[in-house]
Amino acid sequence: MRVSRRDFLRLASFSTLGAVACNVFDEREFIAQSPVRLPEDLVTGRDNWYATLCRHCPETEGLVVRVMEGRAKKVQGNPLYPTNLGGHSVRCEAGLQALYHPDRIAGPLTREGPRGSGLYRSIGWDEALDNLRGQLDRSDRSAVLTVTEPLRGSLAHLVSSFTSAYGGRHMAFQPMEEATYARVVRDVLGQETMPTFDIKNTQFLLSFGADFLSTWTAPVQFSKGYGEFRQGQGRERGTFVQVDSRFSMTAANADDWIPIEPGMEGKLALSIAQVIISEELVNEAVIRAMTGGQGASALDAFAPNRIAQQLGIPPLRGRGPAEVIVELARDFARHGSHSLAIGGGSAAAHTNGLFNLSAIYALNFLVGSVGTEGGIKFNPPPPISELATTLPPATTAEWRRLKGEIDNGSIKLLLFRGVNPVHGLPADIDLRDALDSDDVFTVSFSSFHNETTEMADLILPDRAFLEDWGDDIPQPGPGFEIVGMQQPVVNPLPGMSPLSFADILLRMAHELNIDSAAPLDKVTFQDVLKDHARKLHQLDRGSVREATFEAFWNRLLQQGGWWDEGAVATASLPPSPNLVDIANQAQDPRITGSRDPNTFYLVPFQSISLTDGRGAHLPWLQSTNDPITTVTWTTWVEINTAVAEVIGLKEGDFVKVEGPNGKSLTAQIYHHPAVPPEVISIPVGQGHTSDIRYSKDRGQNTLSILGLPLDEETQALAWASTRVRITKTGEREPIPKFEGIVPAFRPNEEDAIVKVTRG
Amino acid sequence: MANEHKWGMVVDIDRCTGCQACVVACQAENNIPINEEKDFLSRRAKQWIRIDRVWEGEWPNVKARFIPILCQHCENAPCEPVCPVYATYHNNEGLNVQVYNRCVGTRYCANNCPYQVRFFNFFDPEWPSSLWNQLNPDVTVRSRGIMEKCTFCVQRIRRAERTIEGQRGEELSDQKLKEGNFMPACVTACPTDTLIFGDMKDPNSEVSRRSEDPRHYKLLDKLGTDPNVVYLKKVDPHVVEEAHD
Amino acid sequence: MSLKMKLIPLALGGLLTTAVLVLVAIFVLRAWWNTPFEVFGFGEAPEQPIAFPHNQHVQIDGISCAFCHRNVTEGDAATILPVEGCLFCHATIQGDQAPPEVAKVVAYFNENRPIDWKKVHRLPDHVQFAHEPHIRFLTQVQGLSIEQSCSTCHGNVREMVEVEQVRSLKMGDCVDCHRNNQVFTENKDITDCTTCHY
Repeated sequence: MRVSRRDFLRLASFSTLGAVACNVFDEREFIAQSPVRLPEDLVTGRDNWYATLCRHCPETEGLVVRVMEGRAKKVQGNPLYPTNLGGHSVRCEAGLQALYHPDRIAGPLTREGPRGSGLYRSIGWDEALDNLRGQLDRSDRSAVLTVTEPLRGSLAHLVSSFTSAYGGRHMAFQPMEEATYARVVRDVLGQETMPTFDIKNTQFLLSFGADFLSTWTAPVQFSKGYGEFRQGQGRERGTFVQVDSRFSMTAANADDWIPIEPGMEGKLALSIAQVIISEELVNEAVIRAMTGGQGASALDAFAPNRIAQQLGIPPLRGRGPAEVIVELARDFARHGSHSLAIGGGSAAAHTNGLFNLSAIYALNFLVGSVGTEGGIKFNPPPPISELATTLPPATTAEWRRLKGEIDNGSIKLLLFRGVNPVHGLPADIDLRDALDSDDVFTVSFSSFHNETTEMADLILPDRAFLEDWGDDIPQPGPGFEIVGMQQPVVNPLPGMSPLSFADILLRMAHELNIDSAAPLDKVTFQDVLKDHARKLHQLDRGSVREATFEAFWNRLLQQGGWWDEGAVATASLPPSPNLVDIANQAQDPRITGSRDPNTFYLVPFQSISLTDGRGAHLPWLQSTNDPITTVTWTTWVEINTAVAEVIGLKEGDFVKVEGPNGKSLTAQIYHHPAVPPEVISIPVGQGHTSDIRYSKDRGQNTLSILGLPLDEETQALAWASTRVRITKTGEREPIPKFEGIVPAFRPNEEDAIVKVTRG
Repeated sequence: MANEHKWGMVVDIDRCTGCQACVVACQAENNIPINEEKDFLSRRAKQWIRIDRVWEGEWPNVKARFIPILCQHCENAPCEPVCPVYATYHNNEGLNVQVYNRCVGTRYCANNCPYQVRFFNFFDPEWPSSLWNQLNPDVTVRSRGIMEKCTFCVQRIRRAERTIEGQRGEELSDQKLKEGNFMPACVTACPTDTLIFGDMKDPNSEVSRRSEDPRHYKLLDKLGTDPNVVYLKKVDPHVVEEAHD
Repeated sequence: MSLKMKLIPLALGGLLTTAVLVLVAIFVLRAWWNTPFEVFGFGEAPEQPIAFPHNQHVQIDGISCAFCHRNVTEGDAATILPVEGCLFCHATIQGDQAPPEVAKVVAYFNENRPIDWKKVHRLPDHVQFAHEPHIRFLTQVQGLSIEQSCSTCHGNVREMVEVEQVRSLKMGDCVDCHRNNQVFTENKDITDCTTCHY
């Protein structure tokens, strides 16, 4: 065809016009679509709020989700749900991004390239499930291991029924597990279910290492109580003291922060106890009972003037360490049963963690705040026995054993659901190496690529929590019986075909003919939930009571759960522990790593947004400021400002942090005026290598440099008990942080932004 | 009816723990683009509500104080008179309004705001197309060259007026706002009830009662901006005297 | 060639350019103030995937606007009936007797395809418009019927075969109405910017 100059110009002008028009206008703007069918509750332009549960963190918060035209738009706390009462954390909010994440796995995948290469081929569900059944249909069923997050409620019941009927094994994984705390709850507090803390009514709160406002166990539930603790109507403002080897967000909110040498928390607690009993600040009968009759002199070895120098407590407001301890003990005893001592987090993450926590929780028995208002509040067992199954996390020592079992061929098939142990276990266990073998077959039920999923031979993407059914017994509960309900608030997007893990398990149970007893006789997980809800309905008490089951079920979903405020724990109080026994177990922490110059205690922490790393793929969480440092999107090293200046480290300097296991990481320095001079702090959660646009190659995995220090009793990872060496790499880059983006207000007395009063 | 309201907020900083729940809730509700790493490095990250952390003292007697800062919706707003195109003005519900389609992006208002709560769109907002599904249809996505800031979630107030006042013919109260999920996103998110929102003209509303608290103060009061956000002082039993009053 | 001869084409060219510029300016200004000249398809009813005759359904069949646009009295969007809604009637009204377009809607339903109607009414950008309060005002305060209320902005749809936009629906148009009716509503502040812009 011959194109004349005129034709060319005409074409060019039209195509330019076209290009401009196409760029400016999105075609969808010009369309009003009438769908083929429309459910009654889906009206264009009108929003619906559905109640469900957040399954992002172990603390399942009750949510209401705003849904418009089949798309989830906003997540909010469910104001009725008794644990979080309408509040929620940053992490729940980002559930929306997990739903609509651009890198979410659309359908089943089978491995094409070598393990870890990330090369996969899409397959249909029929082929994928045939493949899974083929793997499960084997004679050596004890070689099959299912790994999930710690499960509760109906899903725990289903998985444990499946595992025992099938003959395989099950392990629950939680990075930086709280096994030590769980042991203290069992042995000292005598409880099977996690207790809650009645912070709302506490007058004096003493916390050891537990970052309970940020990430420890149930931060939103505790924050609700904390708000009232501070400024609740009709009560005096509570006093809060945090003993912590790092300046956490929780420590920042304390009236007094008492820095302490890592691992010495238990000795401090005994010293406080010594003051209380030697000054007879509490009832004499209690003292006699708790000292095995020895009375006031029982703990004399822990008298403040004897051990205060060991604890590393700096002079505070002009008082020496012994004075600080005595004052603390008097304040703690003065408020009697409205004093509360809690411990966890870094206080438990030592080789002497069990001793630390035992000593800390024993303080509550001294002042009588166990099972009382303003103290430790116990939770009753779940209302129906089917929901009582819990699958607590395995300890780090067990994971180390597992690695050996995979290596020697006694585990051949692994199913991973909702966990990423290759990233979350200390690098010294090297689970990745175990999975990188042709003798094992790995199935992942993850909806995102991660370090564990990359080793999988078969990926069967699970539904996002906003698309799935479920229920939960919150741990800790609010102090009475509660069952939370999770319902799908939206359907998966077109092109996405996730399948619920629970539904797949049920289908496998049928296809393998392994059992016909409940709950494995059901076709879908929803049937299992309904079966359990029927039993709840028959109780005929609590927040939902209806004549028919249909009405009960609807109201259950509408409210987001069932609870009975009258059904509180009835078991008798646990016996008081013997302080002398605890004192006999007293020991200093064994710290791994040298004490040379330029070495520091490493106190890792879970950041409020990424926690243990499960939120790293979500951009809102990556971009959330760390509350203290305001750093985002990376891993940073918190170091005391004065120390950094002495050794010549500027903010943004890259330093090599070398652990006792010889491994190292490189991260940027952040000058922190409140880190103890002997300590550096690094958040965990970054350092992902999988191909997710928001988390790939950001920061480094702090757990890789710890080595494998374990608590001597509970075999939990003693993640706060290492010393590391830092060396300057010579590189420096600006650190991505929010601080400084808006010009700081001048700290002028008259213009002070934060005004402070005495009360 | 609508002109009889005066929306305001009380922020009790003694309750605030700095947990950032309000910041992300605002991000989600108001279609604020994802603050990427490059936005932090180029100092162009946007947070309509932010939590400032103020250091006090030196190690070991060091304190970090948190304070949520959002648009103060000043009655005498310094941002308003400097706008050459009247894109920002005060309406009679107590809101400081930013009209996006009037804004020409001079950034005078941001320069004149003593609270630094106005943010400029230096770039067009971008989301991967699958994340569009999450965007709130009630809120305009601001394009490049537009100033933006906290609106007290006016889209929720308007929805509340349409449904509660209009359809049901009932008076708007903070209780009704709460029941219908019409409170600003940050207020609903807050796990410690630091933020309280409501009608300052309604003597029975919680904001009216709480703003009478003896701890109340206004940010940079001596500038005379007369904000509609009232702060309640942080309590610290160890303060030697009423240092800043 | 004399200078004069050289200037003539130059002057003609200048005149032509001016004329073109003026025409373009008029086009832009008209588009700004009101509806643009009806060239390039502006102002015409767009071609819909199914030639749906509004006059047939409203005038002859006597169906109320709110039957198909059923959310108009309750929500922001008027909404269009889902395809299954068309089949309420067209399950029986189809076959040889019915016009050929009916077969199309039946086909959409059977093939489980949504219908992408072309939007006829276009509001300017940055406007948050809700139908419900307008219908509420027109029916309850002004005492109009639903059909009359709709016609206030959408014109005499009853007579239209293909619906087209009859009012500019630009800000001037909105504000005129809001200003004139301010006294009649409980909400005296309906000319505030945040009524529509947020």
